[in-house]
Amino acid sequence: MDNVDTGIGRVKENLSLSLSRIRRWPEFGVILAFSTIFMVFSLLAPKFVTLRNLTGVFTIVSELGIITIGVAFLMIAGEFDLSVSSVYALSGFLFVTLANSFNSLLALIITLMAAACIGFLNGTITLRAGIPSFITTLGTMMFLRGIMLAVTGGRSVVYNGDLIVPTMLTRFIGRGFRPSHIWFLALALFFSLILTRTRYGNWVFATGGKKEVARAMGVNVNRVKVVNFMISSVMAGLAGCIVINRFGVANASFGMGMELEAIASAVIGGTFLMGGYGTIIGAFFGAFLMGMMRTGLVMVGAPAYWYQAFVGAILVIAATINIKLRRLEM
Amino acid sequence: MQQDLPLVRMVNINKRFGAVEALNNVSIEVRQKEVLGLLGDNGAGKSTLIKILAGVFPPDGGEIYFNEEPLKFSCPKEARVRGIETVHQELSLVDMMTISRNFFLGREPTKGIGSIALLDKKKMDKECRRVIAEIGIRVRSPNEYVSILSGGERQAISIGRAMYFGAKLLILDEPMNALSVKETRIVIGHIEKARELGTSIIFITHNVYHVYPVADRFVILDKGLKIGEFDKKEVEAKDIIEMIARGKV
Repeated sequence: MDNVDTGIGRVKENLSLSLSRIRRWPEFGVILAFSTIFMVFSLLAPKFVTLRNLTGVFTIVSELGIITIGVAFLMIAGEFDLSVSSVYALSGFLFVTLANSFNSLLALIITLMAAACIGFLNGTITLRAGIPSFITTLGTMMFLRGIMLAVTGGRSVVYNGDLIVPTMLTRFIGRGFRPSHIWFLALALFFSLILTRTRYGNWVFATGGKKEVARAMGVNVNRVKVVNFMISSVMAGLAGCIVINRFGVANASFGMGMELEAIASAVIGGTFLMGGYGTIIGAFFGAFLMGMMRTGLVMVGAPAYWYQAFVGAILVIAATINIKLRRLEM
Repeated sequence: MQQDLPLVRMVNINKRFGAVEALNNVSIEVRQKEVLGLLGDNGAGKSTLIKILAGVFPPDGGEIYFNEEPLKFSCPKEARVRGIETVHQELSLVDMMTISRNFFLGREPTKGIGSIALLDKKKMDKECRRVIAEIGIRVRSPNEYVSILSGGERQAISIGRAMYFGAKLLILDEPMNALSVKETRIVIGHIEKARELGTSIIFITHNVYHVYPVADRFVILDKGLKIGEFDKKEVEAKDIIEMIARGKV
C-alpha cells in the first residue's frame, strides 16, 4: 500500500512540478495566445496555412519584429523609445538617397550609424535633462517626422542603386523566404542570449528593476541605458532599410504608428512596461501575433479596420494574463 | 600583527550640500573585529559619513585611512575591491531578479565560449545555494525571485553576499527597520558571526535598541558634529537615547 501511495504521490508531485515549471516559463502566455489564434485562423481560413501566406506573414513580422526586439531590450532597462517609427522612415530615406549615388553597402553602414547617433541623443538628452524618455522620444519622433515631411514635401524617392544590400536583406531566396526572416530570427536569438546569458544582460535587468541598487552594486546604469537607446534606434534603422529594399521606394510617411505596435508586441510578449522584466523570445512571438492578426483577419473576411480593435483587445488580455502569471512567483 | 591598528580612520571629514553643512570635522575610527554603532537622529550626518567611506561621493575635506593606507575612492566599485561592503535597507537587492542573479550583480562569474564570455550559471547557482544554506534561509532554489523573501531574509542574503566577497568592513545602514522581532534577532546572529570571522562592522541606526546588543562601541552624531564616543561598558542604552534627543552629551 505504502509503495502505491508514494508512487501516486510522486507522480502527482512531478506533475504539479512540471506544470509550475511550464507556467514559470516567461513566454508561456504569449505562446499560448499565439497557438490559439493560429489555430482559429487555420480553421476559419483554409488558405491561412499555406507556405505562401505564412512566408508573407513572416515578411511583415520580420520588419515589425526587428523593431520590437530593440524596443523590448530598452524597455527592460526601464526606458521607452517612441522615435523608432520616425527612425525607421528616416533610415529608409537616408539609405535610398545614399545608395542612389554610392555603393549600397556603404549607404547601409552610414544609415545605421546615423540611427545609432539618434539613439545616443535620445539617451543622452533623457539622462542629462532628467526628463522621462517617453517625452524625449515623443519629441524626437515628431521632430524627425516633421523634418522629413518638410524636406521631401511628401514625394517618394525610388531606389535605383546596386543589388548588394537588397540581396542581403530582402530578395527572395526560394519558396517565398527572404533574408529578412533570417535576420529577424538571428537577431532575436542573439539578443536573447545577450539578455539571459551575459553580464550585460544582468545589468539591463537590474537597471530596469531598480537602478539605485544596480548603481550601488557598481553597474554603470547610464551607460547601459544609452547603449540600449542606441540598440533600439539601430534596430529600427535596419527595419527601415529592409522595408525600403522590399518596396524599392522610400516615403516620409512610412511606419507611422509603428512605435505603438512595437511596444504592444513587447507587452504582449511579457515585457513589463516599467522595466525590469521581459524576454526577447516573448517579444518575438508578440510581433508574430500582431503580424498574424493583420493577414489572418483579412483572410477570414473581416474588414481591415478590425485589426486595430482586435489588437487592442489582445493587448489588454495579454497584459492581464502576464501580470497574473508573474504574481504567482514574484 | 596589525591587531592594535584601527582598520579605518576617517580624520576631520567635512562635507557640504549647498548651504547645509552635513559633516563638520568628524573623525571616527573602526577597530579590527569590532561592531561600531553609529547613532544619531535623522539628518545627523550618519548616512553622509558612510557614503563617503563607501565611495558614493568624495568628502570636501579630510583624510581616510584603510589599514593606515590613505584612500581616495572615486566610485563604490573601488571601495568594494578593497573590501568595503555596504548593506542598505532598501538598496541591496532587485525584487524582479532571482536570488542568484542578485547575489552576483556587478560581479558575475563568466566562462568563455570562443571569444564571448557567457554567465557561469552553474557556478552562480551552486555558490549561491551554498551561501543560502549557510545562512539558513528556506527557499527552494537560488532561482526564486527576491520579491518572495521577507525583510530579514533579504538582509541575511545581503550580509551573506558581502561576506562571500570577502568584506573586511561591513557597513549596515539601518538594517533592522521594518523587521519583526524574530527577524531582528536572526540578523543580530548574522552580524555576530561576521565579526567572529574577522570582519569589522559599522552599524548605522537611530534606534539604540537595535544596535546595543551587538555593538562594542558607539559614536553619536548630531547635526554634522560628533558629540560623543563611548565603549559599551561606559554607557547604558537609555543614556544614549538621552544624548541623541538632547543633541549633547
